[in-house]
Amino acid sequence: MAALPFELAPAIAALPFVSFLIALLVGAFAPRLLPKGGAIPGILATGGSLLLSIWAFVAVRGASEGMYHESMTWVAGVGEAAFDLHFGVLLDPLSTLMLVIVSLVAFLVHVFSLGYMNDEGETGLPRYYAGLGLFTASMLSFVFADNLLMAFMFFELVGLCSWLLIGFWQTERAPPSAAKKAFLVTRFGDYFFLVGVVGVFATFGTTMFVGGEGGLESFPHLAELALAGEGGAEVTTFLGLDPQAWFAVLGLLILGGVIGKSAQFPLHTWLPDAMEGPTPVSALIHAATMVAAGVYLVARIYGFYALLPEVLALIAFVGGFTALFAATMGVVKKELKQVLAYSTISQYGYMMLGLGAGGYVAATFHLMTHAFFKALLFLGAGSVIIAMHHNENMWDMGGLKEKMPVTYYAFLSGSLALAGIVPFSGFWSKDEVLFEALNHGMAGSELLLGAYAMGLLAVFFTGFYTFRMVALTFHGDARTDTARNPHGVRWNVKFPLVVLLDAGPEALGAHHYGELLHDFAHYESAGISPLAPGALALVLALAGAGLAWKLYAVPDPEEHTDKLGGAKTVLFNNYYQDEYQVWLAEGVTLPLARAADKFDQGVIDGVVNGVSSVSLFGGSRLRRIQTGVVSNYAFLLTASFVVLLVVIGLLGGWF
Amino acid sequence: MVPIEYYLLLSAAVFCIGVFGILTRRNALLFLMSVELLLNAANVNLVAFSRFHGNLTGQTFSLFTLALAAAEVAIGIGIILVLYRNFADVDVTEATTMRW
Repeated sequence: MAALPFELAPAIAALPFVSFLIALLVGAFAPRLLPKGGAIPGILATGGSLLLSIWAFVAVRGASEGMYHESMTWVAGVGEAAFDLHFGVLLDPLSTLMLVIVSLVAFLVHVFSLGYMNDEGETGLPRYYAGLGLFTASMLSFVFADNLLMAFMFFELVGLCSWLLIGFWQTERAPPSAAKKAFLVTRFGDYFFLVGVVGVFATFGTTMFVGGEGGLESFPHLAELALAGEGGAEVTTFLGLDPQAWFAVLGLLILGGVIGKSAQFPLHTWLPDAMEGPTPVSALIHAATMVAAGVYLVARIYGFYALLPEVLALIAFVGGFTALFAATMGVVKKELKQVLAYSTISQYGYMMLGLGAGGYVAATFHLMTHAFFKALLFLGAGSVIIAMHHNENMWDMGGLKEKMPVTYYAFLSGSLALAGIVPFSGFWSKDEVLFEALNHGMAGSELLLGAYAMGLLAVFFTGFYTFRMVALTFHGDARTDTARNPHGVRWNVKFPLVVLLDAGPEALGAHHYGELLHDFAHYESAGISPLAPGALALVLALAGAGLAWKLYAVPDPEEHTDKLGGAKTVLFNNYYQDEYQVWLAEGVTLPLARAADKFDQGVIDGVVNGVSSVSLFGGSRLRRIQTGVVSNYAFLLTASFVVLLVVIGLLGGWF
Repeated sequence: MVPIEYYLLLSAAVFCIGVFGILTRRNALLFLMSVELLLNAANVNLVAFSRFHGNLTGQTFSLFTLALAAAEVAIGIGIILVLYRNFADVDVTEATTMRW
């Protein structure tokens, strides 16, 4: 059997890590020795990861059991209820597919950075490429992690790298603030994730995704056994809940991390701000890493979530709501990357909807197609931004179609996929997601039907904002001088665009999640044909796109969204989400923290200080009996002895 | 034969004189003498009970006490010498530097 690609699997993540070290150390001590500011090691490393990933992807199909799992213990537990901590590699169809996506996008982003960063004469490039390398390495390690704790550790590293890269232009005002926001908001979600990890340890004694004889050492399998009421699974529940309810609590806790990282409502606010980072970084964050990490985590432990119908319905509802919510905000934005940011939130909402609706394959499929078309769109946007001398306002563009045809056609195909127009990839994956939601919703879940309705409505908005963006950027007359004389882009910008144009779908091993969903979550299929809902979604997407085309693909378009009046203001201000979160932070958390501080300073420290000052005072009085005069001591001794004698005598009845 | 109560009364009287000397005297040499009185009071007790019980252990013990008293005086005089060297006096109430 082809064991070699599996033996080499850790190298997939190690290569970008080496490029990180090279960029960091050589960049710090001998920057002249580093060609292209570190880009070359990064490109070579991610290229190597890509090749290894493809090899593993192919090999895992031929492997026995369809997966490869190798684990080593780095902390061994001692005692009765001990558990071990592991580092391991888990390669199955899901993780290898994700490895290919991540390493491909990372590779193309590195190449694109040559054009976007190096050719534009940026400084601090070793720092940039070190960040990219570490980002890629952590994401790849996260993807092949075989247990929840390891996944959590790399999840955090991904968050750290996003902070480093979003705030890359650290001397300006906005990027560091956006980076801090991204870090803090995702940390907020990760906090719940951490509690969830501890909870899983306490409940199952293991956090492995797979492993053991018949899966007996993996927590999703243990949960399944516990709920089925069969023997062989020992679980500890807390708060007096039965296993079903307690597992739901655990699922929700882990979901906290997912919602933060995947920018779902209400923790989505960091993502549009993250656009302050360099555009290749945005492409990497949105298409392959960071945001994808959340959805990937749900897919990774889908065996666990499939047991919990309430949590699944909640995931679907949050996803559907986020899809619609973000799409409406995308309609009014002025800046190219802002529109793309909201489209990312919206598309990840679809993935969550798909996962929650039981469409594991559909959601993963959408994750993959989205990774490709969103990377394409971001790199296209980067190309446009180079051409526009770093002006991102779409109202200053227009008519770029003739000036940059390669970018135009790449961007257009990405947009068609994003809008879900047949036959582009986005149509197939998005409609599969919607079909799953409808199919399982029709079988009796109102929550799923509601989520479906929101998802369907979002299709219309998606079509609208996508083509508003395309029309404003590439069609009509050039509205500013810059747009009339755009900056040329070189091969290293065009090459990744062309590669991403050729992205195609691939089937997945869906494991036995179908059965689980049926047995535990009671998801029934309504047995409807996918044709009618697909056609409905397509019509809606076309309607949205057509409307946008009609309104904006004219020589001199107007701000038609102004007619929305007050609604536009609300949309433009993102439903005042930032305001209320800032209010939450400053109006609620800050006073609370102050009160806690006061309590700490006053009561806790007060007691401690009080005890010490009583001792001090008592000591300062009591030391006066230590005079240094021997006679006094002798007197004290004698007097005490006499008193003792008298007392003992009285009590002992001598007198 | 003299009853044992007389010995005990004598011993208690000598002991009280010794304690009184320790509590009231300031001269270190008088201190040493008073300590000798205490020891000898104890010796009187030991010999008296030894005779009372017809057991020679008490008398042997008093010999030990005498040897101990001699050693104690040797050390005590040494301390008094140092005291005098440092404070130019043998007044025990002067040497109060070893407190807080």
